[in-house]
Amino acid sequence: MSGFATKALHGGGAGTPEAGGASTPLRTPVHDTVAFSFAGAAEIADAFAGRRPLHSYSRISNPTVAELEGRVRDLTGSTGVVALASGMAAIANLILTLGGNGSNIVASRFLFGNTVSLLTHTLAPWGLESRFVDMTRPAEVAAAIDAGTRAIFLESITNPQLEVADLAAISAVAKERGVPLILDNTAPTFYLCRGRELGVDVEIISSTKYISGGGTAVGGLIIDHGLFDWSRSPRLASQAAKFGPFALLATLRREINRNLGACLAPHAAYLHTLGLETLNLRIERSCATALELAGVLQERPEVQAVNYPGLPQHPGHELAKRQFGGRYGGILTFDLADQARCFACIDRLRLIKRATNINDNKSLALHPATTIFNEFSPRAQAEMGVRPTMIRLSVGLEDAADLQDDLSQALAGL
Amino acid sequence: MKLTINGEAREIAGDRLTVMDVLKEQKVESPDMVAVQVNGAFVARPQYDDLVLAENDTVEFLYFMGGGAA
Repeated sequence: MSGFATKALHGGGAGTPEAGGASTPLRTPVHDTVAFSFAGAAEIADAFAGRRPLHSYSRISNPTVAELEGRVRDLTGSTGVVALASGMAAIANLILTLGGNGSNIVASRFLFGNTVSLLTHTLAPWGLESRFVDMTRPAEVAAAIDAGTRAIFLESITNPQLEVADLAAISAVAKERGVPLILDNTAPTFYLCRGRELGVDVEIISSTKYISGGGTAVGGLIIDHGLFDWSRSPRLASQAAKFGPFALLATLRREINRNLGACLAPHAAYLHTLGLETLNLRIERSCATALELAGVLQERPEVQAVNYPGLPQHPGHELAKRQFGGRYGGILTFDLADQARCFACIDRLRLIKRATNINDNKSLALHPATTIFNEFSPRAQAEMGVRPTMIRLSVGLEDAADLQDDLSQALAGL
Repeated sequence: MKLTINGEAREIAGDRLTVMDVLKEQKVESPDMVAVQVNGAFVARPQYDDLVLAENDTVEFLYFMGGGAA
């Protein structure tokens, strides 16, 4: 079993007959329960002490969630996976596991707006410094690292700037300086961007997006590729002595995730596992349509500029082609003359939905400056590459001709 | 094959056993949730299927599942 699609369907031990059983359900049942009953006092004591890996309480573990984690582990070739309540929960839990008062994170100057807010508004008061750098300049990344740096953090395709950094080059910097490299791989997922092969230590994914299979449920994943020696991470050194390569996973499971309580609901995990089974097909479709629409939009007289890594004039085009196997994701942005025209265009859309998700099965349009970046000043938005003239389009699975027609009628005469 | 597993001497049938074979033989529940040391050295998860044990090796299992709550 080596192909992505096969693993997506059969990985993680799915459909394996129980010992002695004559048949087994093709889908793991949804274990919609909070607690698990034990045979005796000794068994429940063993579970609490971690002597046996028994499910006891669904904030901590649940068989349906474990099924999703195992399937993703097989797909990524990773050491282990922890599924959480959202992509933001995954980012927050991971950073709280690695950093602390007096330490710093070297992060991309271009990040999802809520991630910027987490770093600058939520975690800064607790003494964690964020150093924002240009990830297309590895030397700038290296210069920002010091003894207090606990991680490098970037997105594989930034949202909504659509910048692409050379992950192998950033990984080389991270390895030279002994700092773990964290990649938010939500936009291309591990189907297009093979984090482990590019030297990424820990991958974060908002499984709400492509993986959920159509905007069905919110969730997030932390994927440890097993490449980083956690004894070099001050917060994890004692756990590394006990759990070796599993120190990060052990700390997440036994402390951080357990105590913060951002657990993934079993029903959400079930939907995400279903979504995984068609992930490759849906990504291929949305990437192909996005490339087609990007070409159409740049011919429109109303459109000032189109930003998509699949276009030859995109500054990261050649890198993206190499890094993501000739597919460029399902998100593009385009600029009109001013914000008023952006609002008018969005209001005229008949098929494309006005909504703030990405990688839904349905195509979605959004004005980033007045939505996901609205808590930041115009100057801060400009520094983050967010323009009031920009519309973000998340391309879904509809027929390309219908999307083209909708965009054409919405843009006409603006 | 003679092995010491979690401090106890064990005799396991077979002369070419991998870490995963021993995990299965010992009925280790959720092998994804266990850290394994062989002769004091941690074994990476992808090596569980490939690392062949030798006579008199010492194998230690330690679960890192979350424990209990509520």
